[in-house]
Amino acid sequence: MTKKFRWLAALLAIVLFAASCGDDSDDTTDDAGDDAGDEAVDQTQGGDLTFHIITHSDDGPFWSVVKRGAEAAAADLGVTVVWKPGVNDANVMVQDIEAAVSEGTNGIGASLPDPAALVGPLQDAVANGIPVITLNSGSNDYQDIGALTHVGQTEVVAGNGAGLRFNAAGATKVLCAQQEQGNVGLTERCDGLAESFDGEVVTAFMGLDADTAEQQNTINATLAADPDIDGILGVGPVITMSALRAAEDLGRDVTIGGFDMTPDLLAAIEAGDVAFTVDQQQYLQGYLTVLFLYLNVTNQNTVGGGLPVLTGPGFVTPDNAAAVVALSEQGTR
Amino acid sequence: MTDAAASLPADGMAGSAANGDDERLAYRSIFQRLFIRPEVGAVIGAIGVWTFFWAVSGTFGTAGGSWGWIDIVASSLGIMAVAVSVLMIGGEFDLSSGAMTGATAMLTVFIVKETGELGGLGLPMSVSLLLGLAVALGIGWLNGTMVERTGQPSFIITLATFFSLKGLKLGLANRFVGQIQVASTEEASDYDFWRPIFAGEWERNTHQLEARDFFYTSLPLLGFTILVLAVAELWFARRSTPNTAGMIQFLVGLAFGVAGVGLMHGTDGTGGNVLSAAVITVGVLIGLHGYCQWRFEPLVDRGTIQFDATLRNRLALGIVLVVIGGAVAMVIDSSSEAQFVFPFTVQGIRAIVSVGLMVTGLGLLAMVSQAALSINAATKFVVTTALASGVLLVAAVVFLDSESAKFRASLFTILLAGALIVFAWGLVVSRFEERRFVDRGADRSGYIMMIVGVLSILAGIAFRLLFVTEAELLADIPPTKTSVRVLWFLAFTSVMVWMLARTKFGGWTFAVGGNKEAARQVGVPAGRTKTQLFMIVSFAAWLVGVLVAFRINSIQANTGDGKEFEYIIAAVVGGCLLTGGYGSAAGGAIGAMIMAMPLIGISAARWNTDWRFLFLGVILLVAVVSNRYLRLKAEALRR
Repeated sequence: MTKKFRWLAALLAIVLFAASCGDDSDDTTDDAGDDAGDEAVDQTQGGDLTFHIITHSDDGPFWSVVKRGAEAAAADLGVTVVWKPGVNDANVMVQDIEAAVSEGTNGIGASLPDPAALVGPLQDAVANGIPVITLNSGSNDYQDIGALTHVGQTEVVAGNGAGLRFNAAGATKVLCAQQEQGNVGLTERCDGLAESFDGEVVTAFMGLDADTAEQQNTINATLAADPDIDGILGVGPVITMSALRAAEDLGRDVTIGGFDMTPDLLAAIEAGDVAFTVDQQQYLQGYLTVLFLYLNVTNQNTVGGGLPVLTGPGFVTPDNAAAVVALSEQGTR
Repeated sequence: MTDAAASLPADGMAGSAANGDDERLAYRSIFQRLFIRPEVGAVIGAIGVWTFFWAVSGTFGTAGGSWGWIDIVASSLGIMAVAVSVLMIGGEFDLSSGAMTGATAMLTVFIVKETGELGGLGLPMSVSLLLGLAVALGIGWLNGTMVERTGQPSFIITLATFFSLKGLKLGLANRFVGQIQVASTEEASDYDFWRPIFAGEWERNTHQLEARDFFYTSLPLLGFTILVLAVAELWFARRSTPNTAGMIQFLVGLAFGVAGVGLMHGTDGTGGNVLSAAVITVGVLIGLHGYCQWRFEPLVDRGTIQFDATLRNRLALGIVLVVIGGAVAMVIDSSSEAQFVFPFTVQGIRAIVSVGLMVTGLGLLAMVSQAALSINAATKFVVTTALASGVLLVAAVVFLDSESAKFRASLFTILLAGALIVFAWGLVVSRFEERRFVDRGADRSGYIMMIVGVLSILAGIAFRLLFVTEAELLADIPPTKTSVRVLWFLAFTSVMVWMLARTKFGGWTFAVGGNKEAARQVGVPAGRTKTQLFMIVSFAAWLVGVLVAFRINSIQANTGDGKEFEYIIAAVVGGCLLTGGYGSAAGGAIGAMIMAMPLIGISAARWNTDWRFLFLGVILLVAVVSNRYLRLKAEALRR
């Protein structure tokens, strides 16, 4: 009994020490490694590290892929991952974070849908010596928290990637079609597109996903009114399909790109009707968060050099669509 | 009371005095009868919104732009707006109507899918459609029964249904297919049989019809002619024995009109157009006069021209305003984009000032001509002639000073025809006896003629929208599609209009919406009627869901969520009262058109789409205020 207690205390000490040193001081990191290195290795071999992944997940199709990534990393590394879906409720997430800290977790991966509510509790966790990594959302706040890094995709960079694709396709004027009005994330995607795209970008709201007939007809009218448009970026999968139908109705040769994946969008890419879709590869967000926490705890490694680690934009194109379809059926894309 | 209203009841009072015994049978003139329809505001609004976007954009008025907003109406908004209007007349709301469209669509797909745990029943589409319909009607029945049994407002009960459906859609989709999107309808064994019925498409560019422009011109002209004659039928007192000379005169006029139109088609260039316009003018005047001579009682005492001071002042003011408006339009540079006063440019000021002056002037003249009717026929004739001259002046300004060919051709022609009709109408009104008594035979034939006239105009427009000519194909016009959804929309709307107007159930609907307890006491099965109204809405939701499922072959879990308020807005814009008991199904359909037109129009005009909600808000506000005004006027007329 006493032996086990001492062993737990040692573990806690390592974690506290490692996390409080973080990435700023090489000397102390070395010391910590010297003091406790052997024991830590023993512990991980026994699979006793526990990481809490606390997100606003609704366990929908998107987040279930993140979850599979985290579980795969846990299996590969022999650690335990506790998956805490907050279902878009920041209050629940705050409680989960506080509970994880008091349970003495070895590391926390958290998303930041509501920075105002979540930054404080995560700062407390860091102050308690627990390594924290933000994933999916939180690229603006992870440094305030003192997190090791952020694992995710920034919308602007994703838009940049789409812009380069349109350049390569030879488009001259792209309609950035939005399915929501005043959504900052969607606007950033269009801003990113405008940054890297050489031609002109028209950003416009084209109707909600709840009414695809309206989307299709509005895009149709926009294309008809402006014969110069030769590219459309749909910033969601449903509006991308509406854009495809509108272009087909008009018989216009338009390069179409999209965001995220649905079965019919993947099928359209496979058929060559849609040029690409931006994939933020959320599997990586689960896998890498666990891996980075593990490497930090066991080996004092930090990733990213203070910058976020980007999981996207990855692209699904006609070349890899068939493979991605197969992988998405396995739930890893 | 304003002047327009003051002049209108004058006729009504004369009528009731002449009739005497039962005020409900009191004679009302045709314009008064149209005026008290709940959808009259929406019709005017729809014409206004259409004209606005036609004027400001290049593609809105083309076949492509037209099918755009018609498809939004036909695919979802219109069918639901009509159903929701009927329910609102019955005094209830259904907030689950939007979510229900997605739920029925998703259910249909679930049943026919072959894969997926539990979800894949792999049944044929026929079974799926029937099961989906049964479930939809069940939800409607549940909504109605819950409202009836609990006595809670339908607003709350159907809100609960809305959340339940929304949750079910998400939950079941995730549970069965691990996606919030459900595909695909084409897996059904009898998909190919049902596809043309629910998603059959008509490609305009593959349907060439060289005679199209003949139909496009002649059918609307015929329709307008019949409409004018229908109004005459409803307005004038019939002769006891028809006058043969008049009939011959009518036929001669008709021949002139046909010859004029033929001439216009046969010739190119200004000379031919002027000649044919003159021939048509003669034809219209002779024909309309002949028709009236043939069928209606001539006026014995036309009186002498007399003006009181107010009338004279208004007449003068109206003419002066039109002239000044025209002068402003001619004098100020129409192409100057220089700033005048923020946020107006010089050309903007020109447009606002000149249009404002001319419209006010014409409005004044129209009011004076209404008022003149109660003085005597001769005065009326003089004043309508002044009004026609005013319209003619505006037409001249448009022709001389408009940059765009669209305005010079279309608007000019319409104004010219308007001036002609005003003048011709003034002529016959001053020469024939107005009917101030109820004549059911004349009313019936007048109404039938009106319907035939409207259908003829619509048929003419349909020819234009459905067919291409070789010239258009050579000009490389973009392909345009329409679908069988339009027919579903028309069929559903027609049935609802007929049901409200002609069936016992329609009468009950108005009764339970007006005052449920009173209705119950006179023997209306109030609870059952309301439940059936909820089931009409859920039937419509099923229909829309199936149309969506066949359109895109896959359904997103959030399909239709949040659209229920748009249906209610369309119903209100169409003249329905939130409190129930008043409104019309056709109004809901027209309200949906008013909502859909800006969506296409703003894109067609290449404006920032951020403005569309502002547009919808303004439309809703204007519609509510003007519908209320018109309704109060109508109620004043009924008394």
